[in-house]
Amino acid sequence: MKILKIPKKDLDLFASVLPAFGRLYAPVKRGSGYAFDQPASWSDVALAYPRTILPPRKFFLPPREALFSFDSGTGYRDLLAEASERQVLFGVHAYDIHGLNILDRVFAQGRYSDPYYMTRRKNTAIVGIDFDPDDRHFARSMAADFADTGFDLFLSDIGDHYLVRVGTSRGDDMVVMSGCLLSEPTPEDIAEFKRRSSERVAAYRTGVELGDLPEILEMEYHSEVWKELGDRCLSCGSCSMVCPTCYCFDVADEVDLGARAGRRVRTWDSCLFRTHALVAGGENFRKNRSSRIMFRFYHKQRGFVAEYGRPSCVGCGRCIGACPAGIDIVSVIRMIRGQTDAH
Amino acid sequence: MNQAKTVLIIDDDPDFVRAVGHLLRSAGYAVATASNGRDGLAHAKTARPDLILLDVMMQDRTEGFFTLEQIRDVPALRTTPVIVISSIYSDHPVFRVSPESGWLPADLFLPKPIEPARLLAESARLTAPGYVAGEATGKGSELR
Repeated sequence: MKILKIPKKDLDLFASVLPAFGRLYAPVKRGSGYAFDQPASWSDVALAYPRTILPPRKFFLPPREALFSFDSGTGYRDLLAEASERQVLFGVHAYDIHGLNILDRVFAQGRYSDPYYMTRRKNTAIVGIDFDPDDRHFARSMAADFADTGFDLFLSDIGDHYLVRVGTSRGDDMVVMSGCLLSEPTPEDIAEFKRRSSERVAAYRTGVELGDLPEILEMEYHSEVWKELGDRCLSCGSCSMVCPTCYCFDVADEVDLGARAGRRVRTWDSCLFRTHALVAGGENFRKNRSSRIMFRFYHKQRGFVAEYGRPSCVGCGRCIGACPAGIDIVSVIRMIRGQTDAH
Repeated sequence: MNQAKTVLIIDDDPDFVRAVGHLLRSAGYAVATASNGRDGLAHAKTARPDLILLDVMMQDRTEGFFTLEQIRDVPALRTTPVIVISSIYSDHPVFRVSPESGWLPADLFLPKPIEPARLLAESARLTAPGYVAGEATGKGSELR
């Protein structure tokens, strides 16, 4: 992997040439939070952000997208071209890069790949950046605090400069296009990177033990914890909406008046919604809130481990802040492990 | 009688705006001005000028580059001729990305200080019927 550095003061110049690789999105202030959006100027970009409200998933699986249209006169029209716009996501944290790598396993590397997701993934450049963990981050526990793949460039703060890891040939193209803005790091720069890296690891204040969690979940299938959580959960789906790895979706045909034309639309869904497991005939396999929230935890911390070798949680902490009922994944895991009380 | 071509100058330097505005008016153009990218973009959306002269280093030193991207995001302005006029290359020698290499979705880059005769000649060329958008900057990334 090629490693370079760029002065922090020249990052605006570097960012100026990135639109040549696609529409530039970066973290900008949005109310009391942050969101990936198009900055109106470089001073809008907030690189020292804790987390964005929504993860970058929205750029690959939009909350709502038309997959194809149909018309009784002209037939089907593939809308894949609308997913082919080139994008650059600037300032993505390591856990969100892991989130995308996890989505890849589902949508790109599985038995059936999703052409809409694949097209956006191929056309989107990722420029990562490191971050200082706050009380909600537990990415270290989920082995998602450091990204070694899934980015084109990754920036790490080393004082007056960023150390830049070049992850792909597209990242290398960015470096080449930006002319002489980047240079070789010195041994002192590498030493500073290592020092700050150790500091960042030590800065995590929140963590969970994952080693035997799938087995403990197996043992706690009938735990009272699930009923207690079900009593508190409002089934609002906020945790799913802000999750970097939730990928449930619903597909429906929207037919125009006259019933001669329409479109097939995919929208985000949540396993917390009452209708998620509702099937034709009125049967609902997860009628109770407790069964739905239990499923969410089992899917992420047990089922995904069995299928893909790691949990599908990346420790971003978004769901902790989003839950109006105060359900905290770290506390839930500790409860299941018998480390704290249910409340 | 032909209606005067309109030029929008987006620049935060009032002296430059005054001097270039006077030059263009004396050549028969109608001139509008804005002192920052946000106001310039808003004006361009409603007034649809025939030509935009855009500074780069305003409140942010790369503001004009971002404004240019936003101009190209507006379908009605996607092929509006834009001349980027800046001293960014002389002020920041570390920035060596040639404006003619195709990354800049502008029609032309002119360094400051501007040569009046060149500006008038280019303004006439870019607002003439038959001008093909983006031809001067390696197609300017096909103007996005």
